[in-house]
Amino acid sequence: MELLELKHVYKNYDSTKVLKDINLKVSKGKIIGLLGKNGSGKTTLIKLINDLLTPTKGEILVNGKKVGIESKEVISYLPERTYMNKQMKVSEVINYFEDFYENFDSKKAKKLLKDLGLDINQKLAKMSKGMQEKVQLVLVMSRRADLYILDEPLGGVDPATRDYILDTILNNFNENASVIISTHLISDIERILDEVIFINDGKIVLQSDTDELRNKEKLSIDEIFRRMFKC
Amino acid sequence: MLKKLLKYDLKYMIKSMIIFYVLAVFFAVLTRIFFSLKQTVMIDIIGQVCVGTMFSMIASTLINTLMRSWVRFKDSIFGDESYLTHTLPVSKNNIYQSRFLITFFYLLIGLGVVLLSLFIVYYTPERWAMLKLLLTGISGTLNISTLALVLTFIIIIFLELLYSIQAGFLGLILGHKKNNNKIAYSVLFGFITYILSQVLVVISLLLLGIFNKDIMLLFTTNTINNIDALKTIVAFAIAIYIGINIAINYIAVKSLNKGVNIE
Repeated sequence: MELLELKHVYKNYDSTKVLKDINLKVSKGKIIGLLGKNGSGKTTLIKLINDLLTPTKGEILVNGKKVGIESKEVISYLPERTYMNKQMKVSEVINYFEDFYENFDSKKAKKLLKDLGLDINQKLAKMSKGMQEKVQLVLVMSRRADLYILDEPLGGVDPATRDYILDTILNNFNENASVIISTHLISDIERILDEVIFINDGKIVLQSDTDELRNKEKLSIDEIFRRMFKC
Repeated sequence: MLKKLLKYDLKYMIKSMIIFYVLAVFFAVLTRIFFSLKQTVMIDIIGQVCVGTMFSMIASTLINTLMRSWVRFKDSIFGDESYLTHTLPVSKNNIYQSRFLITFFYLLIGLGVVLLSLFIVYYTPERWAMLKLLLTGISGTLNISTLALVLTFIIIIFLELLYSIQAGFLGLILGHKKNNNKIAYSVLFGFITYILSQVLVVISLLLLGIFNKDIMLLFTTNTINNIDALKTIVAFAIAIYIGINIAINYIAVKSLNKGVNIE
């Protein structure tokens, strides 16, 4: 049974077709890069998997079951925006996650926050956007989930912290879990990817093993992407 | 999970509502103090300012319960916070019921604060006796107990407020199913829900009038032939209001369960 499976998924906004006949299978133990230009449908696809959007047509299965309470227990999702109640302190957000997610490891979260130099007694409202994003990443990676979905995890982060974040991702998921990372910063994440999915104009145009693709094209993933989607 | 949601919703609302409760009671006490002092022009002016502020605070208590419930609902179910709300391993029914029950609770508290503030400002043994006399007169005419009269009045106000809030919730859910102008549609759908429900109450009472001549006379003449007809109407209206509240709750949960489209 696949960890994640999308069968003929479509998403329309009125007459605008954002996703067209998406078929996708994600197995366990992979780090997958979801790559595409702006407006190609990456975030829409991620939001569909996380029940934030309703598909116009098609079926999304997580561990063989439709998206719902059970899928939310095993998916740890990092959106591309800050979503927490900013009046809460970091420690209160940790308690919140501990209350709702059985697989949340608060000790690990506190350790990671300490490593990043973040104060758990500080209110989110008093933190910069970048700091809030780091807090969110820590919360997401402190869950023992089956599938981590990270939408632009490096977007608002300084280059010096990017490597730390990528190492955090690498070191904080178990072998049976998978990670889907959506980003524009391909060269930064290329080294950790097992698979890539190229999405363009609402369609999956390529799904391949990273090493196979590199060997076949004799180019890096970043170069393949640039060549494929050249304006 | 509902308990956990309630815990956080309760905390969220109390932070913003407590200030209105404290200010309403504070100005009620202040008004009482100024009213009890020897009256001079200045003390009278200050007393009037205090009573005005107290009334604005008790109005704010109820208005804020309504507004903040809608804003909280919108932010947590369709705003940025919805990215967390909808990814929690919680059913949409629990999410809705948590918002609904918290609103229910804060409406009760709000009404309690209003009554307490009015009591602090206006209570004297003479006024209390006068009020009792007035209520006894009305309840005697209606042939019910004073307690039943007061309770009926409070229940009707409470149901009306609760139903207004739920009409807003349903409006927000339906409005956010649209791809554009979500807020404008939310207001429109909320207003339509409210008006339709009011029309339904009147139609139901008219239908009741078909089977009860005395009730129909209340619609066609300006006299009350039988006081029991008035009582029946009130009891029936309460039942209809409860029914509408349950129906709106059911429709809202059904609509939410069909899925959301978060921007």
